[in-house]
Amino acid sequence: MPKVTYIEFNGTPHAVDVPVGNSVMEGAKHNGVPGIDADCGGNCSCGTCHVYIEPEWRERVGPRTEFEELTIQFSSDVDEESSRLGCQIRVTDALDGLVVRMPPTQK
Amino acid sequence: MDASTAGPPHWDPYNQKYFANPYPVFKRLREEAPIYHNEEYDFWAVSRYDDIQRVLGDYETFSSARGDILEFVKANMPIPPGVFIMTDPPIHTAYRTALTKVFTPKKMNALEPQIRAFCAKALDPLVEGGEFDFVQHLGKEMPMRVIGMLLGVPDQDLKAVQRDGVEKLESERGKPLDLSEHDFVAEGFGDYIDWRYKNPSDDLMTELINVDFKDETGTIRKFSRDEILTICSIIAGAGNDTTNRLIGWTGKTLAEHPDQRRQIYENRALIPQAIEEILRFEPPGPSVARYVAKDTEFYGVKVPAGAAMCALSASGNRDETKFENADTFNINRERKPHLGFGFGFHACLGNALARIESRVALDEILNRFPEWECDLDNAQLASTSVMRGWETLPAYTPKAKARRANA
Repeated sequence: MPKVTYIEFNGTPHAVDVPVGNSVMEGAKHNGVPGIDADCGGNCSCGTCHVYIEPEWRERVGPRTEFEELTIQFSSDVDEESSRLGCQIRVTDALDGLVVRMPPTQK
Repeated sequence: MDASTAGPPHWDPYNQKYFANPYPVFKRLREEAPIYHNEEYDFWAVSRYDDIQRVLGDYETFSSARGDILEFVKANMPIPPGVFIMTDPPIHTAYRTALTKVFTPKKMNALEPQIRAFCAKALDPLVEGGEFDFVQHLGKEMPMRVIGMLLGVPDQDLKAVQRDGVEKLESERGKPLDLSEHDFVAEGFGDYIDWRYKNPSDDLMTELINVDFKDETGTIRKFSRDEILTICSIIAGAGNDTTNRLIGWTGKTLAEHPDQRRQIYENRALIPQAIEEILRFEPPGPSVARYVAKDTEFYGVKVPAGAAMCALSASGNRDETKFENADTFNINRERKPHLGFGFGFHACLGNALARIESRVALDEILNRFPEWECDLDNAQLASTSVMRGWETLPAYTPKAKARRANA
């Protein structure tokens, strides 16, 4: 199963197994990783599952979609290069080892 | 014969019986007519979760440019600039981007103390008597005051703004909304806006005056006075009646599920998921409409360009293929995204505000009234074709009920 590492804003890492097909948001929620609120449950409408993608993973994860671009405006501290919404990233075998960082505060 | 069980499925959005309980008809539509055409009013409807997402996620085929309410889509009336809910990308993106920044969860959650104070003010006088109305006492009061505070409209003028917004979307029972005298703008806001140009404050109106807006041509500019008027009217309308109905459904649904209400009373950390389940189970906005901009097809049935399409989100929320035992209210169910705030580019801009308002409202209700029953004989459903919810929803505590029985 692909491993995803979530790094809290304070630096605490959480490396968890996320089933292929789940989203990065679901991986965090199902494993009790703090820092992801995911109010809307994953339909890209609330902006509360914001994560930063580490530089070496950006190409494989890909850019924000047109629709995500709109919703991420709800999030705070958005970074043009690295910000994504966790619910919009599907975990695949190619993303095994992915590292994402959490924003200072989610809400 | 009951039309909800006999003959081919038929859904008349204006039929009061279906309005009171649309779910049996929705179930039949999902099972027997997933693409449904109503001949009497000439519109189409999709009722399955995935089809609703398809409609709301594809603005090139299903356009918002003629509105998001069936009557508007059919009327094809001119829509003034600033009515962002009735636009498609790229115009919509420009407005939405500017507005999203003023409705972020962070900013909305910061309003929690004021929301608590508004709830306390509305509910405290009722604790002693043990009788209260979810809609008249709380739903019609708190969200209105929050919107007033956000916009910077003084207390004494709030009711007029609220009435204006509600009346515009009120329909005669059993009939479509009459748009012959509809206007989009509450000119009543004009004076406040002029005042705010001269006396900036920290409210939303001032923010709308100052925000840099990148329009669809890529030009950075400010909103015009007319655009601000329109946007304020939409926000005032959208922020009043919706959360009001959600608070009503909270009262009704939890009265009917006292065991789950007790769980929430004991463990307030369950409030957010309880609110999401209420939004799934009884969404205040049960349906949204789109204009079909080009020919399309569902299940082999052609839907022609020019048609009106309804996406029945309240039906999608009961889709068994998505939600197990979908007709059962269960605050502990596995979390999956509901369609209570819509989906896609036009998903509710105020969702963070609605969430904090309804969570705080439930918490403050439980603080004062751990147990209640609703007096459904004296409750009344509202008559608007846009919202589904209670106009009055009287309730009483067990103590007040006993007192009544002895009187």
